[in-house]
Amino acid sequence: MPTDPRPGGTGGPVPALAVRGVSKRYGATAALDHVDLEIAEGEIVGLLGHNGAGKTTLMSLVAGLIRPDAGEIDVHGHSTVRAPRRARRELGLAPQELGVYPPLTVRQNLRFFAELAGLRGRSARARIEEAAEPLALTALLDRRVSRLSGGEQRRVHTAMALLHRPRLVLLDEPTAGVDVQTRARLIAYVRELAAGGTAVCYSTHYLPEIEALGAEVAVLDDGRMIARGSVGELVRRHGDSGVELVFSGSPPALSLPWPVTREDEVLHVRVERPHLAMAEVLAALGESAGQLVTMRVVQPSLDSVFLHLTGRRRPTGAHPGDAVREATAAGCSDGSGSGSGSGSGSGSGTTPAGDGTEPPAEDRIEAGHHG
Amino acid sequence: MGDGAPGRITALVRQDFRLLARDPAPLVVRTVMPLLIMGFMLPLFRAALRADDVPDANGAEQAVPGMAVMFLFFLVNIVGFAMFREHGWNTWDRLRASPARSVELLAARLVVPLLTAVVQLAVIFGAGALLFGLRVSGSYAALAVVGVPLALCVVMVGMALVALCRTISQLSVIANILALVFAGLGGALTPQSALPDWAGPLAPGVPSYWAMRGFSAVILDGGGVSAVLLPAGVLCAFAAGLGAVTLAFFRADQRKLSWS
Ligand SMILES: Nc1ncnc2c1ncn2[C@@H]1O[C@H](COP(=O)(O)OP(=O)(O)OP(=O)(O)O)[C@@H](O)[C@H]1O
Ligand SMILES: [Mg+2]
Repeated sequence: MPTDPRPGGTGGPVPALAVRGVSKRYGATAALDHVDLEIAEGEIVGLLGHNGAGKTTLMSLVAGLIRPDAGEIDVHGHSTVRAPRRARRELGLAPQELGVYPPLTVRQNLRFFAELAGLRGRSARARIEEAAEPLALTALLDRRVSRLSGGEQRRVHTAMALLHRPRLVLLDEPTAGVDVQTRARLIAYVRELAAGGTAVCYSTHYLPEIEALGAEVAVLDDGRMIARGSVGELVRRHGDSGVELVFSGSPPALSLPWPVTREDEVLHVRVERPHLAMAEVLAALGESAGQLVTMRVVQPSLDSVFLHLTGRRRPTGAHPGDAVREATAAGCSDGSGSGSGSGSGSGSGTTPAGDGTEPPAEDRIEAGHHG
Repeated sequence: MGDGAPGRITALVRQDFRLLARDPAPLVVRTVMPLLIMGFMLPLFRAALRADDVPDANGAEQAVPGMAVMFLFFLVNIVGFAMFREHGWNTWDRLRASPARSVELLAARLVVPLLTAVVQLAVIFGAGALLFGLRVSGSYAALAVVGVPLALCVVMVGMALVALCRTISQLSVIANILALVFAGLGGALTPQSALPDWAGPLAPGVPSYWAMRGFSAVILDGGGVSAVLLPAGVLCAFAAGLGAVTLAFFRADQRKLSWS
């Protein structure tokens, strides 16, 4: 039964997941630092953060694999520390690292986890079919897992977490290494699960998925939860929009009513409605218009929000454009459900984007250097 | 445990059987090896037993239980591998995230190795009778009364080492050394009477000594169940002690290395 997206306090319905003030250290590393996160029934939360931000640590804590140093975690009201088995019954975890039994067939792998969850005979068979179908595993059920491709193995790995229809699903980078079709199917299936009341925590480095999922966003940065909200809210609050001009030499000094930053041959003008500002920017160019190579509009996007948020730790950056770390994300989709990046994201340049782990995106992102 | 624990343990045991069925070769080899070595050792043991006042001995009376006991302890490696491979496959954490308790995960892992060890003992004794003319003058039930606790000891040595070791190579080195030390001190490699003087007082400290004592009482001295109750009891005590070590040191959240 889907409920109010974020009950927020004590009065509301019990959230599927409630993380309150959780900290976890590994030796000198603070993997998580006073993290709060609530996920309601039927809600999908996209967990974002750069490598080492603490996403896997958070999921492992929720699944009871490790214990928090401080704070409380409740899964449907069951504490992962005081009632770990009740909490575990409610959740399904597909960890980041592939965890399957390679010598056995897909069916044997799935059946084993169905049996561990207390399913037997016909009901186990039905659930295996049910979990296999959306992940396109039906035809592979009798193949040995060691003989499947990497992406096929990952689909088995994900299906193993969903067999028992958990009410809270934790998917740690479920689309790493899977093809576009599977990605789209998985996203559609996750949406379907959520529509049925399942709460989903979904980590990814591929931001268009968040929009395709219609997910809320939670951003971890160096172990701290630095943002939580809907994509729209975050884009409104933190999205960078502006005009970007590339010159053949060093950019001229312009007098404009908006903040301007320079980076090698590129000039960024930060402005809320870039389309309307274009004319004024062009007019301000004057003589130096001859050196202008390209000019483009940068629309606010989840990418720029992410870079803005996670880049802001650098105190030197007066403007987010200066402070972005490296290119960690690709373009942004229009949220129409396909999951392949295109559409309303950032501007329309052609600079190669991504860090090598993402599929190529058509859109240019702010692959800035540090100020 | 009325919450589905028997069902989960059954599922875990079945999973172990499936994995064993996928790759039975190591087990078959470990059962054939003692039979091979018996063939070479038989005359030596015959001479030793005859010198030891067993005039009609053919050597199998010592060779069969001796090699069976020695090689049974090499099964410790298999118990260890079965636990460590879960870490190699990253399935251990998935099991921990399932409704199963850690103690269920451990308990279920005893079943297949225990059955394997019992079957291996039975096969070696059976083949010893067929191929090497082993004659058991006492009761077969008494052999089982010694054999089953012995098998349990082997499995529990494996579990204790799983609890104590962080890498599979640590486990396998220690398991192999223990198998040899147990065999030597326990009188499996040579008859007890042929052991050096320093070894005598140490022998009762190893489970193989009690196993060999029990087997000899049945095979050579014609003993029945009552004649082996002491050795069987001591073997059970060893198993219990090793179980306590396992429970004391096992940490479900310890990250084990299935390589290096
Ligand atoms: N077992 C461990 N021992 C020591 N440090 C660890 C351990 N696991 C994680 N860490 C550290 O904790 C921090 C958070 O790691 P975590 O795996 O949660 O990051 P992540 O957000 O999942 O990153 P990625 O995107 O690369 O998967 C990192 O600094 C990492 O080095
Ligand atoms: Mg991770």
